[in-house]
Amino acid sequence: MSWRVLRLEGVGKDFTRADGGVAQVLRDVTLTVERGAFFTLLGPSGCGKSTLLNIVAGFEEATTGGVSLDDNPVTAPGTDRTVIFQDVSNALFPWMNARENVEFGPKMARLGAQVRNERADKYLRLVGLDADSGKFPFELSGGMKQRIQIARALANDPDILLMDEPFAALDAITKKHLQIEFRKIWDETGKTIFYITHDIFEALLLSTHLAVMTAGPEAGIKEVFQLDLQEPRSPSNPDFAAMYSRVESLIDEEVQRMRAR
Amino acid sequence: MNPPKLFLRALSVAGAFSLWWLSSGTIFNPILVPPPHKVAVNLWGMTADGEILFHAWASLRRVIVGYAFGSVLGILTGVAVARIRIAEDMLEPPLQFVRNITPVAIIPLAVNAFGLEEPSKYFVIIYSTIIPVVFNTAAGVASTPQIRVRAAMCLGAGRWDIFARVVLPSAWPFILTGLRVALGFAFMGVVAAEMIAAETGVGYLIMQSRNMLLPEQMFSGLFLLGLIGLVTDRAFQFTIGRLMRRYMLQTAAFD
Repeated sequence: MSWRVLRLEGVGKDFTRADGGVAQVLRDVTLTVERGAFFTLLGPSGCGKSTLLNIVAGFEEATTGGVSLDDNPVTAPGTDRTVIFQDVSNALFPWMNARENVEFGPKMARLGAQVRNERADKYLRLVGLDADSGKFPFELSGGMKQRIQIARALANDPDILLMDEPFAALDAITKKHLQIEFRKIWDETGKTIFYITHDIFEALLLSTHLAVMTAGPEAGIKEVFQLDLQEPRSPSNPDFAAMYSRVESLIDEEVQRMRAR
Repeated sequence: MNPPKLFLRALSVAGAFSLWWLSSGTIFNPILVPPPHKVAVNLWGMTADGEILFHAWASLRRVIVGYAFGSVLGILTGVAVARIRIAEDMLEPPLQFVRNITPVAIIPLAVNAFGLEEPSKYFVIIYSTIIPVVFNTAAGVASTPQIRVRAAMCLGAGRWDIFARVVLPSAWPFILTGLRVALGFAFMGVVAAEMIAAETGVGYLIMQSRNMLLPEQMFSGLFLLGLIGLVTDRAFQFTIGRLMRRYMLQTAAFD
């Protein structure tokens, strides 16, 4: 599908609380994501980031406003948007080996065995797991499982990858390597990325665009940045360091505000 | 098995036989509770003249038929209860009520409704089998991780593919646990039914031996029951280990 922008317009989400009252989690979120962007949504825990991602994925319905690709509203899950979940053990199919997991999307698209095979080879190689294609998820580390999930998503050739804190559960060293590699993968594949994190460093390392959220409930967008940082990005670069303190102070403000309530 | 484990297991079997041997003639009347060697002689004789095989096969045949029907019905019902709202609302109340009525208590009803022949045995076995299978299947289907289903949706799976390729495989460990429990229940059900109303089968053999004051034969029946249960359970696990191994990878162990 050819489209130019992913639009979130006035998105709000209410939940019914256990006591019967209504909790407004998101309020009036308006964002524009250009095709090909690495767009990151950064916010304190519990601000409704994942809810927003679920709405874009089509898993949940917005109470107000809506999401659209150009002028086509997004209302249900579709193969143009694939989610990469943080909880990779549950996201993968444990009874399928790495290759079978990666081939799932092409299989659902009723592609022939040869095409499926080529796709699996290509993306397993891209994530550096071609030697482990016969292994089952339980035989692989958390980082390797996350690589499979990325390969599985890419093999389905979506326009947008929706990533819900994909590296947050990994150890620091694995996380660092995957971040660097994933940025290369983004460079090579040119996918549009809608990325969620609470990690400022990760956001600055990866993104072309960064939206900082306000603290929930009634969370919204505090500020949006376009990140034209010096490449290769490094925390020792002056512009990276300056941006880091700026974003950090925005987040701190929100955390203070949340505590004051 | 490492040597100490093997030794301990051998010791426990030997200990059990020693206790039996020592108690017969001291605590218990040796005519009513005969010692192991007398039972062994009887068991040998009954094996040689084919009586053991005859009764074992009678019980086993009933279990195979009843268990097959009960399993299929149980899985279908369990899936329906977990996936279809109307099925849940309509089937949950009777199932929750009926699960409290043990298979043994249902035997008089089975005889009244289905007579003294095979159908009443099948009914008791199906009844014994279906309850654990339904509840385990429903639990398995309901516990499929939501994000796994969502991942499949993103990858283009339709309703049927999600059910057949994601929900059912996720539920297999639960379903197989239910099937294994049900296999034990099926034997309990058939033996009880045979004790009350039958002319063949291991349950009949045990009850008849007691009535005719043939305690060696009664013990042979009990031994046979333990053996059949052990062999079928092992066979079940072996088959699962061969055919369903990849679905068991999501759980720690199955033994």
